[in-house]
Amino acid sequence: MSALAAVRKTLHLNRENAIGYGLLIPSIIIFAVFTFWPFLYTVYLSFFDWNMISPEKEFVGIRNYMEVLGDPRTYQIFGNTFLYIVILLAINCVVPYIFAFVIDIVLKRWNGFYKSALFLPAFISLVVGSILFTWILNPVSGPLAIVFGWIGLEIPNWTKSEGWVILVLSLITSWKVFGYNFILLYASINGISREIIESARLDNVPLWRIFFQIILPMSSATGIYVFILTIVQSLQYVFTPVKVVTQGGPDYASSNLIYHAYHEAFVVYRTGHSATLSIITMALFLILLFLYFKFVDRGIYYEN
Amino acid sequence: MKRFLQTICFIALMLFLVACNSEAAGTTEDGKTKIEYWHVNAETQGGQTVKQLVEDFNAQSETVEVVAKYNPDMYKGLMQNLQAEAAAGNAPAVVQVGWSFLNYFSDNFSYVSPQTVIEQHFPEDETFLQDKFLPNVLDLAKNSDGEQVGIPYSLSSPVLYINRDILREAGLDENGPQTWEEVKEFSKVIKEETGKYGFYFQEPADNWATQALLESNGAQFITDGKATFASEEGIEAYELLADMVLEDETALHIGWDQGVQSFIDGSVAMAYTTIAQRSNIQDNAQFDVAAVKSPAWEGKDVKLPAGGAMLTITAPNEKEQKAAWEFMRYLYSIESMAEWTKGTGYVPPRNDVADAENGLKTYLEENEMMTAAVEQMDGVVPWASFPGDAGLEAEQLLLDLRDQILGGSISVEEGLTSIEDKINELLND
Amino acid sequence: MKINRTVEITWHVIFMATVIVLVFPIIYAVGMSFTPLEDAYNNVLNIIPLHPTLENYITFFDTLPVVKVTMNTFIIASVATVFKVLTSFLAAYAFVYFQFKGKEVLYFLLISTIFIPFTVTMIPNYLIVSDLGLLDSVWGVILPQLADAIGIFLITQSMRSIPISLIEVARLDNLGHGRIMKDIVLPLVRPAITSVGIWFFISSWNEFVWPVLILKTTENYTLPLALQMYISSEGGTNFTVAMAVSVITMIIPLLLYLTFQKYIIGTFTSSGIK
Repeated sequence: MSALAAVRKTLHLNRENAIGYGLLIPSIIIFAVFTFWPFLYTVYLSFFDWNMISPEKEFVGIRNYMEVLGDPRTYQIFGNTFLYIVILLAINCVVPYIFAFVIDIVLKRWNGFYKSALFLPAFISLVVGSILFTWILNPVSGPLAIVFGWIGLEIPNWTKSEGWVILVLSLITSWKVFGYNFILLYASINGISREIIESARLDNVPLWRIFFQIILPMSSATGIYVFILTIVQSLQYVFTPVKVVTQGGPDYASSNLIYHAYHEAFVVYRTGHSATLSIITMALFLILLFLYFKFVDRGIYYEN
Repeated sequence: MKRFLQTICFIALMLFLVACNSEAAGTTEDGKTKIEYWHVNAETQGGQTVKQLVEDFNAQSETVEVVAKYNPDMYKGLMQNLQAEAAAGNAPAVVQVGWSFLNYFSDNFSYVSPQTVIEQHFPEDETFLQDKFLPNVLDLAKNSDGEQVGIPYSLSSPVLYINRDILREAGLDENGPQTWEEVKEFSKVIKEETGKYGFYFQEPADNWATQALLESNGAQFITDGKATFASEEGIEAYELLADMVLEDETALHIGWDQGVQSFIDGSVAMAYTTIAQRSNIQDNAQFDVAAVKSPAWEGKDVKLPAGGAMLTITAPNEKEQKAAWEFMRYLYSIESMAEWTKGTGYVPPRNDVADAENGLKTYLEENEMMTAAVEQMDGVVPWASFPGDAGLEAEQLLLDLRDQILGGSISVEEGLTSIEDKINELLND
Repeated sequence: MKINRTVEITWHVIFMATVIVLVFPIIYAVGMSFTPLEDAYNNVLNIIPLHPTLENYITFFDTLPVVKVTMNTFIIASVATVFKVLTSFLAAYAFVYFQFKGKEVLYFLLISTIFIPFTVTMIPNYLIVSDLGLLDSVWGVILPQLADAIGIFLITQSMRSIPISLIEVARLDNLGHGRIMKDIVLPLVRPAITSVGIWFFISSWNEFVWPVLILKTTENYTLPLALQMYISSEGGTNFTVAMAVSVITMIIPLLLYLTFQKYIIGTFTSSGIK
């Protein structure tokens, strides 16, 4: 048996499946070159002490992992990351879900206006958002501080206070991503058959039950997409305001896993630590993703 | 089907445009040596001047063509890009290296000392450095092994910007405080009389101003390769700042951009920050603004770390190294230096520019705010740059400490001593 | 069923407040872009400029070839978007309608890349782009962006909700995969494609970390990079010019959106994404 035939046999390759593989080829090539190879390289680097340019890499075994996991700062940053995820899920997943529901089902007027207006900030980059909000929310000189001053209120010194800094940076990020998530969910809810909803309403089913028992399950495919996207946003998108506004400060209070990996790699040039941190981040989310595939994916409503 | 065809046409058009686009980036056809010059000068910090200088140089040079690349996020950002470039085996020809990266750069990147290039190819310039620069200025670009890594190019120092209107309103000397003790007193009075903040101490992602504050009081950041800032004087100096923020609540603890914004709009009476902010402050403040020399400590000499950057030659081959020096020689001419100072607010590193007729003579006479920076140049010391692989980490530890101290989560004494120990441990590894 | 009037009004108030919070910064940015910097510093509350000026825009147009820079940004964003949508669509089709060995694992692997921090790929990708000789070129910016699995995820989700019987009938009619894709699947997943398309375009349009690394000469700049030229910690940020650049940066995606708004919203509401 020739080698080719052996390959065909193990892959069950026939005309039909060959097309399937064929369609995947562009994606596989792109991901292999620009994601998988770099990723494996990072795994490799996580066992070395290196600064990216010095000619020799020192093999240190699992010392990087020991150091990263033994550093209390790592756990502080885990906590921050978790906080970002919770806040952003609340603002950019839960709230737009409710908004989309209300605008589509409850309100009869101005729906079009709300749709356009809420979507508007989605076009702006977070760099702009960060500069803009640093200015607007300046606790001494910003317009908001002045207006608050008239009524005797003070704005917290958010760039320098723990807790506040995460909240405000989350709000800046939400400003940009809220509208997109909202439009997606709106479209999904809007696509649900009116008859079901109308008949439920005729039966005087309360709105919250319509939401939980009809809307939520029937739009769950988009819901999951928005959910995953929000988690990605709270990791990757938050990076921009963190970098522009606080550089992770004060004393790492606004850093998240991705920013911290960036900080280790490109500010203090500890490539090994950064690689290790990235691998740990990746592993954590892989577990989440695995759980998702194992339990959630099956429960999603597909109109089949 | 129609839409499908449209999409295909669209892709084809895009590919065509992309193809056209990539042709533009080629090499010079007229046989000039093309070199890259990496700088950090944003439009608000001399970007226009860089552009002008490079254009003028290219116009007059028959052998060299310079392409300037702007690197956002200051010297840290430039270092990141240089790191990637070096990992890929490339290198620009001339690079601005910030002082705090002096040791890290010389330990990790390949470069040639300018004097080496000069001696090899330009015997006529052999004494250029010696003649045109003061020895203490040249020393700023020497690494911990005493090698001349580059040539000082941008020199800045911290000055105290004062809002004379507020000082007068509070009944204080409109020429501003002379000592740090006075800064503290002034701020108290300002807060009481006007309700405004007295003082803002710049908080960028480096320890430059902190070094000025501590070393002027007699502390020493680094002694013989060891961190020694937690001396009695160091602690005393840092405590003054911490007290103003935490106890008196007369000083603002806030990010750099926001702090400067608050000074310009008149919410803070005094700001301690770099002379490079001069044009921003001068152009936009609507009050009687002045810059005065960095305050001293009662009875002590001021010691100010030089800010800014040096120019280094990272060109990999002799041809480009030659071109690099030709370009640098142009940048260090009196006329170019004068343009550079006007565009950036940096103090000229060459000793003869300030007084030369074709240099800055008239300019300095007209710009009083620059005088403060020029006059205090004799107090300039090198920016402390911790040696070895852990140098940048040490710098970072000090930065984290600033957040902890000014945030009130640790006392100055405890913080400084513990971080000093930690840094020395790192440096020993 | 009637909706309680007070409930309705309450919701209108909530939405209006949200709209104001979201839109105010944009209006503020537009106002500031026509304000001299000095005024901006000293009269932060004046949304409508006291002394309106075009100076900020002029400064920007004087510094950079703005049309070229805008073109660059547009080319990068469109090419990246079209390629990503296309490859995602093909991959999703393979995942949903073919049974082959390793399908689940492959899908899981691709989707898991969504969570790979970009710091992981930054340096290796730089080396690749450099080896390909694509530094300082649009392709150098485009290529690494193409590896983005979010499109595969959403389009697969959307395709799964197409009744499988539709496809089976078509197969029985001896319709080729090309025809099925084009005539049956594509129209049904158009909302998903539109929404990832918008997402890709906006993300690519505003991308700044990667272009900073790749692009060198100002002729090759993109708009987000141009913005970086007015931000400096040491020399101060020129807030008003930065706002002018921002306005220019957001105007094109906004115009595109307004032009295709009918189509986009129509796509969504005709079938909805599931």
